[in-house]
Amino acid sequence: MECRVLSVQSHVVRGYVGNKSATFPLQVLGFEVDSINSVQFSNHTGYAHWKGQVLTADELNVLYEGIKLNNVNHYDYVLTGYTRDTSFLETVVDIVQELKRLNPKLVYVCDPVMGDQGSMYVPENILPVYRDKVVAVADILTPNQFEAELLTGRKISTEKDALEVMDLLHQMGPDMVVLTSTDLISPHGGQFLVALGSQKMVRPDGTTSTQKIRMEMPKVDAVFVGTGDLFAAMLLAWTHHHPKDLKAACEKTVSVLHHVIKRTITYANKMAGPGKRPSPAQLELRMVQSKKDIEYPAIVVEAIVL
Amino acid sequence: MECRVLSIQSHVVRGYVGNKSASFPLQVLGFEVDSINSVQFSNHTGYSHWKGQVLTADELHVLYEGIKLNNVHHYDYVLTGYTRDTSFLEMVVDIVQELKRANPNLVYVCDPVLGDHGSMYVPENLHPVYKNKVVPVADIITPNQFEAELLTGKNISTEKDAVEVMDLLHKMGPDTVVITSSDLPSRLGDRFLVSLGSQRTLMPDGTKSTQRVRMEIPKVDAVFVGTGDLFAAMLLAWTHHYPNDLKTACEKTFSVMHHVIKRTISYAHELAGPGRKPSPPQLELRMVQSKADIEDPAIVMEATVLTL
Repeated sequence: MECRVLSVQSHVVRGYVGNKSATFPLQVLGFEVDSINSVQFSNHTGYAHWKGQVLTADELNVLYEGIKLNNVNHYDYVLTGYTRDTSFLETVVDIVQELKRLNPKLVYVCDPVMGDQGSMYVPENILPVYRDKVVAVADILTPNQFEAELLTGRKISTEKDALEVMDLLHQMGPDMVVLTSTDLISPHGGQFLVALGSQKMVRPDGTTSTQKIRMEMPKVDAVFVGTGDLFAAMLLAWTHHHPKDLKAACEKTVSVLHHVIKRTITYANKMAGPGKRPSPAQLELRMVQSKKDIEYPAIVVEAIVL
Repeated sequence: MECRVLSIQSHVVRGYVGNKSASFPLQVLGFEVDSINSVQFSNHTGYSHWKGQVLTADELHVLYEGIKLNNVHHYDYVLTGYTRDTSFLEMVVDIVQELKRANPNLVYVCDPVLGDHGSMYVPENLHPVYKNKVVPVADIITPNQFEAELLTGKNISTEKDAVEVMDLLHKMGPDTVVITSSDLPSRLGDRFLVSLGSQRTLMPDGTKSTQRVRMEIPKVDAVFVGTGDLFAAMLLAWTHHYPNDLKTACEKTFSVMHHVIKRTISYAHELAGPGRKPSPPQLELRMVQSKADIEDPAIVMEATVLTL
């Protein structure tokens, strides 16, 4: 397999978020990963302390220029996640557009990270850049419910709302949308959360059809950081192998997350000791230890085709 | 296995040098790798063009402070390679010394990158820093012949010279020394280069014993970048698994190198086409494709234990 990904995300010295979360799993699955580190921090910002440096939009451009001058600016995928800076994000869009001119088949996997549970955790002025520029060039989008509502201006209270929001997102650009988590009620009860996916495909006769799926995932009583980055990276990998089968791609992706999270929470609880809540350091994803699950994820969730 | 490495090396967007060369193989072998990127460049400096940014000694210190404030500055290994800045290197030494106070069992694996084939390719003022400050705190060093000569002030013309130089290096600090390549003539002919290793261990009765090994490595007609970084990382891994058996650690390490290089040169020639010299992008190590060889290297060469 000869597949090259350009991933533009954070780097942390310790732990697994951003490029640290995405790179190893993709490499283990045989992808060539070129990574531009948008920041270098000691660790993610959920710890008591964090320190480091950020890359400016100009510096991002300089790095891309280096790649371009050597005529190696040829990618099959671009992957982006958490960004706080509008000019940085706009430079990413310019780069994606140029890379798409060079390779019209390029797939841009975009996690439009803006917030969760009703509140934004990036500057507000990021929203119009995602809404008006980024989503338009994205091919695969992995918003949570809050981000999907922000991007479309529509609230989601029922599954029907969610399907309509995904259709609106298709109209804005991406042929594949996965609502990675929602507040929708699961038929299995309150210990499960509902995720939904939608893939638009063109039939041989030129008409479009959409496959929509729903998945129920067991909730875990802990805050993990980097799981969204792992999700987007694994969705990239599994849609690469199952380009017309969102059900299979999502089952694999969600299953990998399940195995990694399960291993992580077990270890974290062990490190913390009985009755104590694990710390952010203890909750770092057990990425390296999950290599086999990343390579060959046992399917533990079934996606229902709607 | 619960083993944490702090690796302070370059990052390149594309290709496999520095941390890009060291991290994936170590992670694949189950090591937790914390990585501080000393630079971020588009690609290595052997391409026609390269662009990027460097980390200052202060910025390195700031990152380390973040780790320390969270009380997670506990490492089993430190790994360093190509550096061009003396104050950066001095900051690395300070960090290693503090980490050793926090964990006296910490092993510092140091590739003292200074040059090759008789000429330096870093600023000259790095030489005294390596000699006087870095090597004394190193536990494993991987100099080539030129670097070993520079660090000890002694020339190597025979295997006997090389053994004496490795003994001098032991006296300076590290208990494990591998001269990764030399100009010494190989018993197998001029298609092979000679590497040597020496490991000093403390016996139960308090005396020191030294195991010395020689390896004959097939030469490859190409310039690879990042192979030294891969070598140091894999020597870390295999000495971890064989802490008192330099012979086995070297056989595994050199075997991994062989497999990766062989796969790389085949692919590079395929890309370049018949009769053409592959370009630097084409010669990038086939790291991801070599995962199985990294995990479980088939041994393809035997280290000879020297009896002196």
